[in-house]
Amino acid sequence: MKFTTITKWELKNTLKSRKFMMIFVLQLSVLLLMIIVFNSFVTNIESDKGIAITPSLNGFATMDVQDQSGLISKYVNPEIISVNNVTTYNTSILRTENGLTTGFLYVQGNADTQIKTGETVNMLVYVDAADPKMSVVTNEANNTAKTIAQSYSSSLTTSANTQNLTANFTQETTGESLPLQIIKKVMLVILLFLPLLLFGNIIIDSIVGEKERKTGEILVAMPISHSQIIIGKSLAVALTISLQVLIWLGVLLIFGFSILNPLAVFVFIFLTSIPIIGITAVVAAYSKNYKEAGIGLSLAYLVIVGFLIIPVLVYISRKSFIANISPMTIVMRLFSGQFIAIPDYLLCLGFILIVSLVSYWFAIKMFARDDITFGPRPGILRILFELLTLKFFRK
Amino acid sequence: MIEAMNKIKALTVKEGNDILRNRIYLLVVLVQVFILLGAFGLALASSVASDPTLLDQYGATSVLKVGVPETVKGTPLDAALNDQKLNITYYNNVTAAQNALGTSLVAVVKVDPNDPLNISVATDNSNIFYPIVSSKVGTAVNQYSLEEKLKSSGLNSSQIQQVLAPVSLQVVVLNMDKQTKLALNSPYFVEIMYGFIVPFILLLPFFLASNIVTDSVVGERERKTFEVLLMTPVSSSQVMLGKIIPILSFSMIQSIAWILLLDILRVPIYNSVPILLVLFFVGLAFIGIGTLLSMFVDSTKEANSAITIVLVFATFVLFMPLFIKTAYFSVILNFIPTVLIVKMASTPNIGLNMLMYSLPTVLISILIFILTIRYFRHERAIRL
Repeated sequence: MKFTTITKWELKNTLKSRKFMMIFVLQLSVLLLMIIVFNSFVTNIESDKGIAITPSLNGFATMDVQDQSGLISKYVNPEIISVNNVTTYNTSILRTENGLTTGFLYVQGNADTQIKTGETVNMLVYVDAADPKMSVVTNEANNTAKTIAQSYSSSLTTSANTQNLTANFTQETTGESLPLQIIKKVMLVILLFLPLLLFGNIIIDSIVGEKERKTGEILVAMPISHSQIIIGKSLAVALTISLQVLIWLGVLLIFGFSILNPLAVFVFIFLTSIPIIGITAVVAAYSKNYKEAGIGLSLAYLVIVGFLIIPVLVYISRKSFIANISPMTIVMRLFSGQFIAIPDYLLCLGFILIVSLVSYWFAIKMFARDDITFGPRPGILRILFELLTLKFFRK
Repeated sequence: MIEAMNKIKALTVKEGNDILRNRIYLLVVLVQVFILLGAFGLALASSVASDPTLLDQYGATSVLKVGVPETVKGTPLDAALNDQKLNITYYNNVTAAQNALGTSLVAVVKVDPNDPLNISVATDNSNIFYPIVSSKVGTAVNQYSLEEKLKSSGLNSSQIQQVLAPVSLQVVVLNMDKQTKLALNSPYFVEIMYGFIVPFILLLPFFLASNIVTDSVVGERERKTFEVLLMTPVSSSQVMLGKIIPILSFSMIQSIAWILLLDILRVPIYNSVPILLVLFFVGLAFIGIGTLLSMFVDSTKEANSAITIVLVFATFVLFMPLFIKTAYFSVILNFIPTVLIVKMASTPNIGLNMLMYSLPTVLISILIFILTIRYFRHERAIRL
């Protein structure tokens, strides 16, 4: 009997399960939903000159405006401020004082003639100090004043005799803006790696499930080594994950995401799944039941996700070599078409190899120990102690 | 009547004890505090980093490193750039400065040696402070070129003054005695805090609650205690109330605690009573859906996967409206609970229409609740 037999059994089990298929399809629909969110988010931010990620509530703050000339009110940003045009000064002051509106913008009735005759137009903004949105309204009023000043200055200077003296000011930028990079690249790379973390349950089920269903004894009694059992089961999960990754890659490509080197991207994501499954197998081999495995898995995945994402963020802010230790960094660089030097690849692959070897060795060792698999189980501290005193290696 | 109350009370106490003994639940409650503090800190830091005036105020301008040619030193352009409080490094060699872009410089200002009005700026877009540096350099260059233009235009000084400032803005602050004590009086901070973080934090306990109640029915079935529960002389609605009241009250207590914590962090929440009312009904709907799911599925494992997917959709419905800019949705947007929470939390005085807008939430959640009880009766009929 070989480990491929175990793999075949597990795969058959997984693919035959109707629930698995349902979850598989639902995950795909979640992905589609995320793509929609993602796309609307990116267009939203790009239209905002890629500066800040703020909620875009319509009418977040309200402002009464009294401006008979119509000179000012047309410049107020309607996206944030909901403008309430009024004619009586006193009601608006009262409304502001009573907290019914955040602010009140007052412009003198003859503002348009004032500006034409070269007088400075006075704008008054009354704001309610009790309203936290005070700064939002003040800021918008300030921006409005600035916009008017700019448009007015440029119209005046072009009409005046400037002797064709125009400044030539050009701005060129290098690199993609940070919020956009985070949104476009980091979110995409997270989407690509998501399937790796969705299938922890299968490996938990196939190892802890044997313990809960009390079929573990029979499995161990079969003419097959412990290492073959663990490797066989892990391989089945790896194949399922690779299928999911392949579908997600396809969906993302169809939806027009630019993913260069898709094959290399796929290979790296697949390779990353191996140590993650290994770590999951360690948790599963130690856990007594589903509940314990669930807690252990959540903690382990928290560490894994942090370990994958933090180097990516480090790499975006400063191109350090060590950031390539995370396969996520390599995948992000691969799909954005960057040149990757051999040492960068080696660092990443070496790390994957080391974590895989250590985690599988550990999982197999734990699974092979009857006291851990069938109890009475030694505590975590006891195992750590055994590791430190090298007793673990002899058992 | 009293007997019924006693039955519900007994069930509530039992379920409440179960929840309080659930170590994962307690852990996640604690995690929420860290989420709140983390989000608050992040909002604070990013507000300072993206606001030029705040950055000046905190004296962090040394990070705004801009390379300027040596020849500009002492000219009006140099003065305009210095006015913007940039950290200026003078360079002689353009290529060296260009190479330093992205490492030791955020922007490089280049001036044509033959034409001082031909100015170009290269900025490193990937720097965190790029928006600030870009706007500051832009302002400086525009001011400089405007002044140069005006000098040669032959306008008199009062005319120049008017061109430079055609509009004067005066801010009058009312209700100074009732001033809000905000952690940071910046528009970005107010928008991100009230517009996203406040509704997110206040709803977190209910997301958690719906996860906990998925265990309620299917868990009883798995532990084979469901039959015993159904045999007891307790009516369906009593069972449901007994299961829903403890988790709903724990979630409400958490939300109240977060409101108090936000107040301590100086993000005051207005209209906390109407907000808690909205949260109560949203919570009822969440818990109702969780319980419904718990009746549909066969195992706790299945229930967990199902609720995760439901919560993804709920997140989409509740939080996407905060980030979408579409005019044709704006009517529906008013009815979304998160939008209501945002408006209530940040406005000292709300009108009656706000309560009207919360009616659909109330109706939908009552409907879900009734459906849960109905379905439980049905389930009971099958089992017995």
